[in-house]
Amino acid sequence: MWIPFSYALRGLWQRKSTTFLAVFGLGTVVAILAGVLALQQGFEKLYSEHGRADLFVFLRPGATGEGDSSFPLVKAQTLIKSVPEIATDDKGRPLASMECYLAVRRFKVEGGETNVPIRGVQETTFDLRGPDVTIQEGRRFKPGADEVIVGRSLLGRIRNCQLGATIWINTTPFQVVGVLDSEGPFASEIWGDFNRMADALHREDPNRVIAQLQPGVDAKAFALKMETHPEVPAKVQTEREYLSSQTRALSSTLKVLAAMLGAIMGIAAVFTATNTMLSALAARTREVGTLLSIGFRPIAVFLSFLIESLLLGLLGGIVGCLLVLPIDGIRTGTMNFDTFTEVAFAFRITPEVLISAVSFALLLGLLGGAWPAWRACRLLPTEALRRR
Amino acid sequence: MSNSMIICKDVSKSYQRGGETLSVLDHLDLEMEAGRFYALMGPSGSGKTTLLNLIGGLDRPDSGEVTVAGAPLSKLGSGPLASWRAANVGFVFQGFNLIPVLSAFENVRLPLTLTPLSKAERKKHAELALSIVGMSDRMDHRPSQLSGGQEQRVAIARAIASDPKVLLCDEPTGDLDRESADQVMDLLVRLGKEFGKTILMVTHDPAAAARAERIVHLDKGKLGHIESNVGA
Amino acid sequence: MDFLTLTRRNLWRHPLRTTLTCGAIAMAVFLVCTLRSLVTTLDNSAVASRNERLWVQSAVSLFVSLPQSYQAKIEAIDGVDLVCKWQWFGGIYIEPKNFFGQFAVDPEKALSLYPELTVTEGSKEAFLGSRQMVLVGQGLVDRFGWKLGDKVPIMGTIFPHPDGADTPWEFEIAAIYQSSKPNVDNQMFLFHWDYFAETVETASGTAPDVGTYVVRTHPASDQSAIMREIDTMFENGPQRVQATTESEFQAQFVSMYGNVGFFVSAIGGAVLLAILLAALNTMLMSAREQTRDVGILKALGFSDGRLFAYMLGQSFALCLVGGAIGVSLALLLEKGISKAFAAMLPNYAVIPQTIVLAVGITFVIGLLAGILPALRARAILPVTALSDR
Repeated sequence: MWIPFSYALRGLWQRKSTTFLAVFGLGTVVAILAGVLALQQGFEKLYSEHGRADLFVFLRPGATGEGDSSFPLVKAQTLIKSVPEIATDDKGRPLASMECYLAVRRFKVEGGETNVPIRGVQETTFDLRGPDVTIQEGRRFKPGADEVIVGRSLLGRIRNCQLGATIWINTTPFQVVGVLDSEGPFASEIWGDFNRMADALHREDPNRVIAQLQPGVDAKAFALKMETHPEVPAKVQTEREYLSSQTRALSSTLKVLAAMLGAIMGIAAVFTATNTMLSALAARTREVGTLLSIGFRPIAVFLSFLIESLLLGLLGGIVGCLLVLPIDGIRTGTMNFDTFTEVAFAFRITPEVLISAVSFALLLGLLGGAWPAWRACRLLPTEALRRR
Repeated sequence: MSNSMIICKDVSKSYQRGGETLSVLDHLDLEMEAGRFYALMGPSGSGKTTLLNLIGGLDRPDSGEVTVAGAPLSKLGSGPLASWRAANVGFVFQGFNLIPVLSAFENVRLPLTLTPLSKAERKKHAELALSIVGMSDRMDHRPSQLSGGQEQRVAIARAIASDPKVLLCDEPTGDLDRESADQVMDLLVRLGKEFGKTILMVTHDPAAAARAERIVHLDKGKLGHIESNVGA
Repeated sequence: MDFLTLTRRNLWRHPLRTTLTCGAIAMAVFLVCTLRSLVTTLDNSAVASRNERLWVQSAVSLFVSLPQSYQAKIEAIDGVDLVCKWQWFGGIYIEPKNFFGQFAVDPEKALSLYPELTVTEGSKEAFLGSRQMVLVGQGLVDRFGWKLGDKVPIMGTIFPHPDGADTPWEFEIAAIYQSSKPNVDNQMFLFHWDYFAETVETASGTAPDVGTYVVRTHPASDQSAIMREIDTMFENGPQRVQATTESEFQAQFVSMYGNVGFFVSAIGGAVLLAILLAALNTMLMSAREQTRDVGILKALGFSDGRLFAYMLGQSFALCLVGGAIGVSLALLLEKGISKAFAAMLPNYAVIPQTIVLAVGITFVIGLLAGILPALRARAILPVTALSDR
């Protein structure tokens, strides 16, 4: 004979104030974990979801990112012209672009300094990017002109980023002529003409080349081939792979932080849940005695209390999710440890976050309920009935 | 009457229960002499316990005045009333009401912290009170380790520890077997005779009531007759 | 006295419940202490005592170096006492997670520039004596178990070895320093610029540029005027520079991490809310059980105020014991946490202000958790309390 589910439900309902406090306590702990995970998700998805699988990034062999990658200009030009796997447009021009890149020092509007990625791109870049990169305001920079477009996320965060302002790069003034919009990390960058940037930065060599490949080219084999290319060896990744690799340090830091907070506060939450369930047991000792004496088996009592505790956890999980939901979409910025630049993104309550939160809450309920449930099913009916 | 220890004048008390007003005491007048042992009897709901609580200052009447040991209780705020209780009345309850986490000795010593006595004197007083009730050999026991009769004797020791003038007992023998009940009653009678306490005891038990000097009958919130018990 | 006994015994009436609640509070206080210490450590690294050092770096990017010719030009400025090259090497010791700062410096100047560095083992002379010698911080010695005379291989990532990218640079530990100030990193690895420059030139054919010039000014000179003069001197290139005081640079560097303080406060606030609810729950349960006791005490003549204080006292006792355990835990684990964060955040320490804060927080939690039961104990009529079963 099993004890009906409604018994557990009624148990929680009868002791409303205790249940309420316990659920909110659990909910807050769950919300902390979910909040940190939402930050991690927002950051990681910004890169992983907006990197394209059909666009390829060429780096110097051994380089970990475009910051420490560099191709001699001539080699980069050779690469673009002579690698047959690179796709061409209808006029036969290769669909590839050289890019130079540097994290430049900029001042934040709110004070303090930060590093903003500045990218010199060739015209083909816009063809390659298509609708992924649009101009939200103003216009594109003219080739060969000292003009830049700034990422939407920089507006209001970094000084001198409004339309019409002047951005100095070393000794060259650049005019802000447009605002670049992109869902991905480009929204935190400044873009200008490749040649003008290379000139202003005194670095004629591009950091990387991006290109589309001919249809039907096997990406893995191509990457392997380019690694040992006799003339222009390069490390080739899809843009998606590349961008994902640029999130590891911060992403793992945030995950470790979430795990640490979850573990420490989890212990506290399990203690609280245990207390709540122990008081539930104390309030119902006689009832349990009655149940046992009329023939319910101890395992039924055990499960009933465990279910009550899991319910408590579930409610806590739901409250935690509700508490954390309002931060979804809130924009924030942080230093990406991999690129050492600041990147803006929004907290994201993804299904992964919600699933982690609810699972965590259920785990807390399970751990918190185990001991009281065990105590309940070990009660001797006669003794339980005697107690007030 | 200058010899009155307890004077209730025109005392009324009612309770709200389920939206209905329940009149418990209805314009009650009552006087009790100092140093006497009164038993308060009456059917359930006649207002016995309510009257006892009003006299002990645990509750306040809706109207009327209760004067105990010369103090008109309605004139006392809750703070002074508490101090007054500490100095003037001792309570003995049906359910003993010892603090479960304290030993017998600690329970008896507890009210003495409200007196200006030194630590050593408190100890002496508490031990004396316990010896009067015959519980000296059990003073380090917790209430849960005592029998009902023993618990009640400790509770009586606590009630007399600070030497109050009035003892208020609410069904002191209600939870006890005959033998324990008799012991408790012997004790109360002795406290009245030897120590001159004014005792008011609410009881259902005719045997217990028979030990009192006066029996006050209460019915539906009104005073019935007062018997003088010649045997006591 | 009896009330203390009563408090103690009542809390111990349910040993498991009290232990678990104390444990939960301890966990939260420990967490808040640790999080707070991360912030103060980060802030402390930026709060430098006033000193005479300026940092001259490229105004364009932290990843851009300056010509070697700048050194003489800066030295010529009035009020400038000493100019030392300071180049970030960015190598890897065995594996990337063993991250620490290696710097190619002018060795003699560096030591004179940083009187905060006290050589505790080996000697200054040994460090200056030969080109492959390094001076390392005690923090690194603790982390990697190095000792004097150890050969340390460092894989150059930005600056590959002439024999190939797979060949590590070889260094030998000549001296160990201890930093006397929290804002001077205890985990630096300082080696000879000459050795660095010549090896790089062999490998790449061109002499390396200089990441940073650390400048010492005369005590009597006008630092801001000197900074302006340096900035203006290179205004027209080839590389613009930005001169800042050391503390300003460190503060800016910290600000690059973003709003860590706010983030940590938000987490800390939520942690405290959770724990307040837990403490409140326990106090309410405990108070409910003691309703009858309250009635008895009132009947015995204890005043309303006394019972208010008694209930509040129980809450304080519960929270303060938990808080004390939490703070002790934070202090006990300080060394371990310091080790764990060594790469990212050197000099992790729990400062006295954090302990004061934690104690204050514990008091507030005690107050908030106890005030409701205390008010109830004060207000309840003795008869009502006594009739509680």
